[in-house]
Amino acid sequence: MSTQRDDLPASDKELWRRLDANGAVGVRPVDDLEFAAWIEGRLGEAEAARLEASIAADPEMRRAALDIADILGKPLPAAPERMAIRARALVGFEAERQVARKGFGDWLLNWMAPSALRPAAVTMAAIAIAAGGFTMGGGLGASFAQHYEASGNQKAVSTSEASTDISEFFASDGI
Amino acid sequence: MQVADLNQIDLQALARGDKRSWDTFVGAAAPLINAMVRRALAPYGLGEDDVMDAAQDVFVRLCAQDFRLLKTYDPARAGLSTWLAVVARSAAIDHARRRRRPTQPIDEVPETVLGVEDRHVEKLKIPQGLLTERQTLILKYLYDEEREVADIAQLLKVDPQTVRSTQHRALVRLRAYFREGTG
Repeated sequence: MSTQRDDLPASDKELWRRLDANGAVGVRPVDDLEFAAWIEGRLGEAEAARLEASIAADPEMRRAALDIADILGKPLPAAPERMAIRARALVGFEAERQVARKGFGDWLLNWMAPSALRPAAVTMAAIAIAAGGFTMGGGLGASFAQHYEASGNQKAVSTSEASTDISEFFASDGI
Repeated sequence: MQVADLNQIDLQALARGDKRSWDTFVGAAAPLINAMVRRALAPYGLGEDDVMDAAQDVFVRLCAQDFRLLKTYDPARAGLSTWLAVVARSAAIDHARRRRRPTQPIDEVPETVLGVEDRHVEKLKIPQGLLTERQTLILKYLYDEEREVADIAQLLKVDPQTVRSTQHRALVRLRAYFREGTG
């Protein structure tokens, strides 16, 4: 770095503009709560110094700190009613929708929601009912017999249809 | 309800999604969020609808995903109104950036931002440790942001005279360091 013994600006502002303060302090990310705590002056000396390094290095944070301190130090005008109404609806809507649920399906959903065992119990019950109904209908054996009988009739029908066609062919040729 | 009432909100009931607590919270927080959003959006030249939408963004952030953000708030670390102001400003800036680039009257832009930098003039690096973090912050506010001593004193919760003496000590150190040609 070159020496600047004789040409340092007389004005403090000019001097500052000739200097590069980036890197003069260590910077790290700052979360919202830390930033708020710093604005309130709640941090200890070391912690505040660490934050001030980050704030000094970030023009957006410098502006934010001044804006927030200024707003918090003033009496605030009332917000437009429309703003509050829209904000209230964010939570009210969901709550009202839950109150409006009164059907059996909703009751069932609500009943099932708290425990993982309930859906399992419902599934088991559904399987038991299905199995019972199937057994009452004759079971697998009856189903197979029914299917076999149906396919046997179909085969018989198709064989008789084929022989009728051949007889007609020969008859038409006079044989 | 005034901003002071914010610190009397039942935060546990609020985080559980209790409708009455939410309505009370909205009533208490709306003036602060409104003021903060308006201040943050002012340089962007956006209209009333954007103020409404940005404020709504703040409330949405607070209650989204089962009040996740609100649950991160710790009253032992910072006051609710200060934390809300930080959250509101951040959400408003995000909203403005999504909408358009900022516009600012030329009279309000600091000279340092407008000035065309002469790339042939090599800036002198301030070595780490020469200035304290607070000295650096104060000089940045005074010369880069061109802010008033009174505003900086209010922010740092010190007397304006303390800001001036900190500035003075910092400049003496800088002049001494660079006059001696150390580095």
